[in-house]
Amino acid sequence: MPTLSVNFGDFCSLLGERRKGEELCEKLALMGVEAELLGKELRMEVLHNRPDLLSPEGVARALRGFLGREKGLPSYSASRSGITVRVDRSVKGIRPFIAAGVVRGAKLTEEVVASLMQTQEKLHDFLGRRRKGSIGVYDLDKVEPPLTYTSVEPEGISFVPLDFGESLTPAQILQLHPKGREYGWILQGKKRYPILLDRRGRVLSMPPIINSEDTRVTKNTTSLLIDVTGEREEWVQLGLVLMMTSLAERGFRLQTVRIRYPGRTAETPSLEPRRFELREEEARELLGLDLKAERIAEILRRMRYGVEVKGKNLTVLAPPFRADLLHTVDLLEEVAVGYGYDRIPPRVKGVNTVGRKAGVEELSDLVRLIMVGLGFTEVMTYTLTSPKVNFQMMRTGGEAVEVGNPVSEEFTILRTWLLPSLLGVLRSNRRHPLPQRIFEVGDVVLLDEKAETGAREVRRLGACVIGKGADWSHIKAVVEAVAREFGLSPEARPVDHPSFLEGRAAEFFWKGRKLGMAGEVHPEVLLSFELGHPVASLELDVEALPGKNK
Amino acid sequence: MELETQEARTLLFLKERGEAWAEEVEREMGLDPSTLMRAVLGLSQRGYLSVREERSFLLSLTEEGRKYAKEGLPERRLLKKLAEGEKPVEELGDREEAAIALGWLRRKGLAEVAEGRVRLTGRGEEALSGEWPEEELLRRLSEGDLSLPALPPEGEVLERRGLVEVKERTRRLLSLTEEGRRVAGEVRLQEEVTELTHEMLVTGRWKEVRFKRYDPSEGVPPLRPGRIHPQQRIIKEVREALLAMGFVEIKSRAVESEFWNFDALFQAQDHPAREIHSNFTLSRPSRTKLPPRDLVRRVARAHERGVEGSTGWGYRFDPQVSRRAVLCSQTTAATVRYLSSHPHPPLKVFCIDRVYRHERIDYKHLAEFYQCEGIVMDEGLTFRDMLGYLKLILTTLGFERVRFRPGYFPFTEPSVEAEVYHPKRREWVEVLGAGMFRPELLRPLGVKHPVLAWGIGLSRLAMMRLGLEDIRDLFCNDLEALQHWGMGGG
Repeated sequence: MPTLSVNFGDFCSLLGERRKGEELCEKLALMGVEAELLGKELRMEVLHNRPDLLSPEGVARALRGFLGREKGLPSYSASRSGITVRVDRSVKGIRPFIAAGVVRGAKLTEEVVASLMQTQEKLHDFLGRRRKGSIGVYDLDKVEPPLTYTSVEPEGISFVPLDFGESLTPAQILQLHPKGREYGWILQGKKRYPILLDRRGRVLSMPPIINSEDTRVTKNTTSLLIDVTGEREEWVQLGLVLMMTSLAERGFRLQTVRIRYPGRTAETPSLEPRRFELREEEARELLGLDLKAERIAEILRRMRYGVEVKGKNLTVLAPPFRADLLHTVDLLEEVAVGYGYDRIPPRVKGVNTVGRKAGVEELSDLVRLIMVGLGFTEVMTYTLTSPKVNFQMMRTGGEAVEVGNPVSEEFTILRTWLLPSLLGVLRSNRRHPLPQRIFEVGDVVLLDEKAETGAREVRRLGACVIGKGADWSHIKAVVEAVAREFGLSPEARPVDHPSFLEGRAAEFFWKGRKLGMAGEVHPEVLLSFELGHPVASLELDVEALPGKNK
Repeated sequence: MELETQEARTLLFLKERGEAWAEEVEREMGLDPSTLMRAVLGLSQRGYLSVREERSFLLSLTEEGRKYAKEGLPERRLLKKLAEGEKPVEELGDREEAAIALGWLRRKGLAEVAEGRVRLTGRGEEALSGEWPEEELLRRLSEGDLSLPALPPEGEVLERRGLVEVKERTRRLLSLTEEGRRVAGEVRLQEEVTELTHEMLVTGRWKEVRFKRYDPSEGVPPLRPGRIHPQQRIIKEVREALLAMGFVEIKSRAVESEFWNFDALFQAQDHPAREIHSNFTLSRPSRTKLPPRDLVRRVARAHERGVEGSTGWGYRFDPQVSRRAVLCSQTTAATVRYLSSHPHPPLKVFCIDRVYRHERIDYKHLAEFYQCEGIVMDEGLTFRDMLGYLKLILTTLGFERVRFRPGYFPFTEPSVEAEVYHPKRREWVEVLGAGMFRPELLRPLGVKHPVLAWGIGLSRLAMMRLGLEDIRDLFCNDLEALQHWGMGGG
């Protein structure tokens, strides 16, 4: 979950009142924000779906409502700045959309700048690490409008990027500037790069990579220009709204910018609320709470919605930054949160069904019981493994489900049998006394073209004995003991298998169906697993054993 | 007074002899020294026996000693040679032996060297007749080993010269006391055995023998019972609780399509949880078969434009993405698959299975672990029932204090997180995430009734139950550690 950090004093001034840290954290938790006060730092974990809480200003705004200090739709007004951004045809296919706005009367203390930069960074994460939207903030007084959003050849222009001493071309920025290296993947494969210029052709930024040093925001900046560029218009609009409404919480004034696309224009940001229709019964149907329309309205107003009640119908206006609302169920959750999860009385409506264990688990539990009775200890190992362990160390080869993006060399395929996992367990238990008797009831995964997903799981029983009793006659007796519990007396047919000593392995069949195999493990295999004592093993298909209804 | 068999036998043996050396007793009774010593200790503690210790020195010839016993000592041979007249040093024969011999003669004052010639002294002349003490000892030893109460000086000399081997030993003379003699008259010998045998039982001989007494405090080799793995025990506990509540168990798949793992759960194709660093993609198999086209189309529409008044995610859905194979990252894939083929109430199912995440393994993360997930579907279920079922499940699992917090999952609304109070750690721990499936998920599957869904962080639950701090210990396979893991956890 995204984490925010804010100075406690700054947060209290945004909230408009001072509260004890502990009390504040408790209230935030009820709102779904996990908060912790560490000295003067308030640290908050925010839910993924709430980008409007990715700034301390946004959290304070929500909390003021939750505490009942402010109600209803937060209203933002924005006058026209008269500034335009012309969008050149050439950005289509590269990074087609831009939204921009102006903030006036800004007072940028150190805390405000830190908070602004944090919000920008968190929103970048939210916006697909700048892919869906990237935000630029400039000192408006260093810019001469109108602006042009266009594209250039990789070597077609040069400017001094932020935090860099010399002038670079876009191609050089991607190679040399830290931000270029970090975000260059977004422009991969593009023949031209996006660029934002002012009237005199001075560079503001090369989205989504870096701003120019010329337009840097300092503590003396009072007017900000903010832009968001990206692949989809909704995302850039939302990004801009989130940035600007956060800044408005600090009392700064907002102004709109005109975006001139080829053939149409748009005034951004659009701070219009979104409209939902809600019926009184919906709260009862979904939440089980008997709330009158007026009561629902009151709760929603505290959750910062504008609400009009007409009889049993409610018209709900949602602030423009609430991008998480898709459906009235989202509003109803707001009602539940506003009502307080701690105040909703739990109820259990009887739903009459009969419990039933999965057949394979029924069988597995029976097999476990038998194995424990035979003095074996259960182990649990990973299904992720490597071809080295699954095949090479076993003196075999074969095919398996392969991971496309492995994290480590140890975990690149799914195992096709249990024996290598069990030998691995014996290796890690070398310093313990012998004999050791272990088993696992677990899944292996086999490629299967006929299966819907191209692979299927097979539940197996695997067991190993090392030390006394690690021989063919004992392991065969174990196979027969397990089979006998299910009423089977399988036939053993000799088999040559590279993992086992020649003439000391067999496959087991019952009525023509293969149950599995057992044998004495080949010395070369033992040595690859660094085992100094003989091992006998068995591996059986659990689902080949007859269940309750067979 | 009960006597052990060996004690009784020793007593009887000495009754006849009066007294005897311990080694004789050992030999004649066929006992090993430690067994006899135990018997002797027992008898002397009761005052039946007294033990006198005697030191002795056992002398025997070495190989060299035997040679000299036969040929005479080198200095004796040199002496005899010199009796024929004085000789130059270089004519004394074997140089090394001559040097030793000459050394001895000069030390005893029997010969002297002047201007490179050796001749006998007066005492040397006298010594030609008579026998030195060393020679006498050699002679006696050539007839057999000697046991002497003390080591004579010539013995020491010969030992130093490597001609005689001396072993010092302590012998114990055992003799009965008066009390011992009296008791010995009453002792009756009974056979002592360690094992009760089949033969003894059928012949009745068990009545005639005495069973050796064991010391119960003595250690025995440990027994290692077969055991169920601790994590498996927790899984079983949870499974049984859910079965008892009437839930039906279903299974998930290790290899799943993105369609069921994400799309059907209304997780947008550009959702961060679907990015490459969150899940394991597969290069083999890389493509799966999609479900019927109708279903895919309905799901796609829910994503793109929404259903039933929802706005949807507003992007372009790509069925090629849906076909990609991944390692199943959430058991919800299984419950939603089940819902699509069982869209009618009433229904309660759960799934306990492994899921996979793109994680490097450390004390907090595993790349594969267990999830437990369940759903309840019926007419008229509400969020109050959601909280009720969560409370019921957690109470059944033994948690007394439960509280609810808002949560977020892309496929549920309202969503909730349940926390339980951990009395040992004195804090609230999140163990359960839940919510009501969104209409955008349900409608494309043809489900018209509310569905409550919940997932237990089984790893966290197991760690709490077993008192673990390191998540890797859930897959601990150290056989000693498994043996010492109490059945009750902790």
